Amino acid sequence: MTNTPTPSGSVDATKVQPIQRVSDDDLYRHSSQYRMWSFTPEQLAQKRVEINARAATVLETRVRSFLEQNPDLGSDEVAAITEKAVPVTADEEVLLVNYFARMLLTFATKMNLPTEVAATAVTFFRRFYLNNSVMDIVPKEIFYTTLFFACKSENFFIGIDSFAKKTKSKNEDVLKYEFRLLESLQFTLMNHHPFKALHGFFLDIQNILQGKVDLNYMGQVYTNCKKTIMEAILTDVVYFYSPPQITLAALLKEDEALAMRYLDLKFANEDSPGVLHLETLRTVIVACKDTMSANAVPSKEQATRTVAKIHFGQNPLSVVERMRRQRESASPP
Amino acid sequence: MLRNEYTKEKRVGEGTYAVVYLGTKQSNNRKIAIKEIKTSGFKDGLDMSAIREVKYLQEMNHVNVIELVDVFMAQNNLNLVLEFLPADLEMIIKDQSILFTPADIKSWLLMTLRGVHHCHRNFILHRDLKPNNLLLGPDGQLKLADFGLARNLGSPQDLLTSNVVTRWYRAPELLFGARHYTGAIDMWSVGVIFAELMLRIPYLPGKDDVDQIDVTFRALGTPTDKDWPEISTFSAYNKIQFYPPPSRDELRKRFIAATENALYLMSGMLSLNPHKRWDSIKALTSQYFVELPEPTTPEELPKLGGK
Repeated sequence: MTNTPTPSGSVDATKVQPIQRVSDDDLYRHSSQYRMWSFTPEQLAQKRVEINARAATVLETRVRSFLEQNPDLGSDEVAAITEKAVPVTADEEVLLVNYFARMLLTFATKMNLPTEVAATAVTFFRRFYLNNSVMDIVPKEIFYTTLFFACKSENFFIGIDSFAKKTKSKNEDVLKYEFRLLESLQFTLMNHHPFKALHGFFLDIQNILQGKVDLNYMGQVYTNCKKTIMEAILTDVVYFYSPPQITLAALLKEDEALAMRYLDLKFANEDSPGVLHLETLRTVIVACKDTMSANAVPSKEQATRTVAKIHFGQNPLSVVERMRRQRESASPP
Repeated sequence: MLRNEYTKEKRVGEGTYAVVYLGTKQSNNRKIAIKEIKTSGFKDGLDMSAIREVKYLQEMNHVNVIELVDVFMAQNNLNLVLEFLPADLEMIIKDQSILFTPADIKSWLLMTLRGVHHCHRNFILHRDLKPNNLLLGPDGQLKLADFGLARNLGSPQDLLTSNVVTRWYRAPELLFGARHYTGAIDMWSVGVIFAELMLRIPYLPGKDDVDQIDVTFRALGTPTDKDWPEISTFSAYNKIQFYPPPSRDELRKRFIAATENALYLMSGMLSLNPHKRWDSIKALTSQYFVELPEPTTPEELPKLGGK
C-alpha cells in the first residue's frame, strides 16, 4: 500500500522499473470488509457452528445446575425442562438473526433514515451475531443499539434523547451494549455497500450503451436493482462477494440481456485484456445471483418459536411455572 | 489479556475527549502512544470523533498515515494504540534553531501529499490538515494524524457541514459555507502548509471567520464569477471586499526562495475555484518534485532542538 504516483520522468534513469499502480481491487483487498468480514461458505458455516456450540454448552451447563439445585422437582417437571430448556440450533440462530435484520431494515425505512444508514445497521447487526450467539444476547436487546450506533458511524447523528423517543425505548437500554457491539465488530466500522457501485454502473452503462438504452427504462432498472440490493444485504452474499459483484448480479437478475450486452461491450473496449476475465466474472455473478435468490425468508412463527425456545433455555424455572399455571387453570378450584 | 500487552507510562496530553499516554508494547518493546477515550459524561454514548478515528484509521495502512496498532477495551474505556510519534511539523516550524533547506521542505510536502493521496483514493476526506496534525516519527517519516473530523467523500446529493478544518487552513468554498465539497478542501490546506513551510510563519492567519475571508482574498485575490462561475450563488459573496489577484512578481517577492515550479505547484493547490484546484495526483506528478534538489531522505531531515 505504499505505492504512490512517482513523479513523471523519474530521477534515477538507471533503474527504471515499471510502475505498479495500486488498483481499486488492491484497495478493496485492504479494506476491513474484505480482510475481516469476507468468508468462504465453509468458513462462514463453521463460524456459526462454533458460536452456537459455545453458547449451547453454557446453556446446558446452566440447565444441569438448575436441576441439581432443585432436587424437589417432579419427574414430569424434570422431563419438561429436559425437553424444553434446550439450546437453539445454528440454523435456528441464522433464521432468527435474519428475521430481526429484516425488521431492522423495515424499521429504519419507517424512520426515514438514509439508505446507507439502514444498510449499515443491518450489516452491524448481522456481524454482531457472527461473534455472539442469540442465546448470549437476544436480538431485541441489541436491535436499537445497532441502529443508534449505525447512525453515528455513518455520520448521521441523532441524539440519544430524541432517538429513544422515536424508538419508544429507554436511553440506558439503547446504550447498554454499545461497547459490546463495537467490540464484536472488532472495531471495524467501514462498510462498502453496493449502492455506490450501482450508481457507478448505472452511469457507465449509459456511457457504454450510449443511444442504445432508454433513459426512463434505465431509471426503472436502477430502482429495481436498488431493491434487489436491499434484499441482498440480508443474505450471505455480502460475505462471499464484493459490492460490484453483488451489483452486477442484481443487474443480471433484473435484465440479463442488458447486463450481458453491457459487459460484452465493456470488455470489447477494454484495452488491457488479461486484467479482467469476462468468463470468470460471468461465472461469479451468476453464482452470486443464485445464492441471492436461494435465500429463505424466515416466517414470524419460526421466529416466535425460536425466541420462546431461547427464553426457556435461559430460564428453566419458567418451564416449570408455565406447567404449574397450565395445571391450575385446567383443574377448577 | 490484551490490556497487559500495553503499559501506560506517562501522561502526555489531554484533549476534550481523550487522554494520551506514552507506553510500551510488551511483546516487542515497541514504543507506542495510547489514546484513552473518555466515556463518562458523554450522554450520547461513544463520541463521534472517537468513532471516526477508529473507523478511518482501521482502513488505512500507509507509511504516511499514523498506524493504529490496536484497539481494546479496559475498565469500560476505549483505548486506541497508536504508533509513537514524538514531534509534529508545527513544532519544527516554530523551532528557531532549525534551518530549513528547500530539499527539506520538498521532503515534508512530498510525504504530506502521499498521505493525502492515500486518504483520497480511499474516498476519505481528512478535513483537519494543519502542521499540528502532521506528526513526525523518530525516522523522520511524516504521518497524517487526528482523523476525528474525517468522513467519507459523500454521494453527490449528501449535505456536508462546512464547519470543518482549523480556520487558517480552511478552503474558500468552506469559508462561503459550501454544503458540497470534495478532497479539494484538503488540497487547499496542503497549499497553505506549503506556504507556511517556506515562510516559517502562518500564511493566512485570520483572526476570526470573517477576517479569514479577508485575509485569504487579500493574499490570493477575490475570486470572480469568471474564474469561479458558481461563486455568486454563495450568499456571503456579495458582502466581501474585492482584491485583485497577486501578480507572479508579488508572489516571487513574498516567497523569495521558491523556484518557479514551487510557486506553480503552490498556486495550483491554492486555486480559489475548487474545480480547478490541483488534486493529489497532479500535485505529486508536478515538475517541482522532478527538478533538483531531490527531497531530503526522511532520516536526514532536521529534528527538534536542531539535532
